[in-house]
Amino acid sequence: MSAIALLPAHGVGSRQDLPLPFGLLLTGAALALVISFLALGLLWKQPRLRPTDGRLLPPALALALDSPAVRGAFGALSLALTAWTLLALLGGKDDANNPVPYVVYVWLWVGLALLSMVFGPIWRVLNPIRWLHRGILAAARVSADFSLARYRAGYWPAALGLFAFTWLELIAPDNDTLPVLRVAVLGFILISLVLALLFGRDYLDTGDPFEAWSGLFGTLSPLGRREDRRWVLRTPLHGPNQLASKPGLLATASVMLGGTAYDGFSGETWWYTFVQSSALPARLWETAALLTICLVVAGSLYAAAALSASLAHVPLRGVATRFAPSLLPIAAGYLVAHYWSLWVFEGVNGLARLSDPLGTGANWLGTAGVKPSYALIEPTLVATIQMVSIVIGHLLGVVLAHERAVTLFPRRVAVIGQIPLLVLMVFYTIGGLTLLFSH
Amino acid sequence: MTPSRHVRYAVATGLALTVTACVGGAGAPSASSGGSATSSSAVATTPPSAKTPTTPPPAGDAPQGRSIAIAVKGKSVTPAPATVDLKIGETLTLVVTSDHDDELHAHGFDVETKLVAGAPTTVLLTGTQPGLYEVETHEPPLRLLMVAVR
Repeated sequence: MSAIALLPAHGVGSRQDLPLPFGLLLTGAALALVISFLALGLLWKQPRLRPTDGRLLPPALALALDSPAVRGAFGALSLALTAWTLLALLGGKDDANNPVPYVVYVWLWVGLALLSMVFGPIWRVLNPIRWLHRGILAAARVSADFSLARYRAGYWPAALGLFAFTWLELIAPDNDTLPVLRVAVLGFILISLVLALLFGRDYLDTGDPFEAWSGLFGTLSPLGRREDRRWVLRTPLHGPNQLASKPGLLATASVMLGGTAYDGFSGETWWYTFVQSSALPARLWETAALLTICLVVAGSLYAAAALSASLAHVPLRGVATRFAPSLLPIAAGYLVAHYWSLWVFEGVNGLARLSDPLGTGANWLGTAGVKPSYALIEPTLVATIQMVSIVIGHLLGVVLAHERAVTLFPRRVAVIGQIPLLVLMVFYTIGGLTLLFSH
Repeated sequence: MTPSRHVRYAVATGLALTVTACVGGAGAPSASSGGSATSSSAVATTPPSAKTPTTPPPAGDAPQGRSIAIAVKGKSVTPAPATVDLKIGETLTLVVTSDHDDELHAHGFDVETKLVAGAPTTVLLTGTQPGLYEVETHEPPLRLLMVAVR
């Protein structure tokens, strides 16, 4: 798990979690089944999650969140962190003490996802591409809404970008060395700026891979905006339920779930034994496996939605994408289960390394001495977090699918109509627990 | 999951000593990379004169615990990779022989050493922090085994 391919001199992720104990696998699987049956019998029969729900934040806090001062502070933080990382990327030493792999693979990937689950889509205010884009337009004295073409690709660029990032993180050769990271980071910034200038802010809102990553996980946050854009506290169900069905949403959710599932799968003994001794290049097999798993996630959700639609006698068109948001809590559960220890352990190691971006032995931030806490990666605690997060993801996914079913399907067939989706979610959940158990 | 102990302790130790004795100090790996104080393990080539190949499993001064011999031929690993359990404080003796020059890297144990074609290299892995750790070679990248410290 969390097996980032590594060079000898590098160290992100050299420690992995112990396999999930069999008892927790059984407990998790049993809970998933019970939750699913209870959901069918007991949950509400009419749509219940309204976009107007939520407890309003105190006006002062809401005003502060939207104030230019707070937004500007986030922007300054984002640009400072970006500049600092670029300093280490372009001027640092290519060794195990360089902070860039930690910033990219631990902070930007796992840290951003976890922060977003708690605070919402924070990449909107932290995204350096957004701030650079804004700066370029301001410098050129052009309106911030400027675009050369209308953006209509929805989440598709995000799906492709997240797939590429997952490939870079889990499969690409030498992916923690500076030459590879320079190409990846600078290439990403360049392509993103070109797309943002071409298609305007609409691209950044949905097409930017990390905005989608943060935005989609961020729907699960208790902090959100209700329909009239006012800040509210609400359940983790309201955000995903409120998501607009845009093209590519199913693909993006599938990559978010499939990438983590592949990371677990790649640790299976039979798999790596076969791949590393195969006559074909290992990376070919690995890339094929990553792609296959993402396609299986998307394909199985599509098939389940098609079956549901046919059981409920409604047209299939758009149904699969409407159910895609119920994958998000499941993906979040997988992510917490797989990367909790990576985040609390290597995230702190990254902070220590960030204090010396140029590899000169400096301690500019005063954080060089911080050490991760072993108490947070104690095996029983980690195993419990893994089981609980996957089961909670399942619970939220099931309830979201139920709400969708009673919204989309006629009342009499709503229960039978959601059975294929429930079966699929039980499959994802037990599959996720099994991957944690059997590597 | 199943602990792999395809080669028994005595055989492994005997084999290791034999071949090490034959190769002598020629391919002696640079011991304990970095010599870090926190290093939980050490890389060692048994001195040729220390013991004779026929000595039964030593009892006194030798490392305690289990031993596993692993042979690497091209891209194949014998015995097949598996997850080996190791208790905290217990030491696992790995004897790795490759048919080509390579590097051996035990993640999390701070062990990184050169492998010389045909020469068995012995590394000692002592469990300190719970977790799952990979032991691999680099050219080509091969996972030899996983060590589950608990």
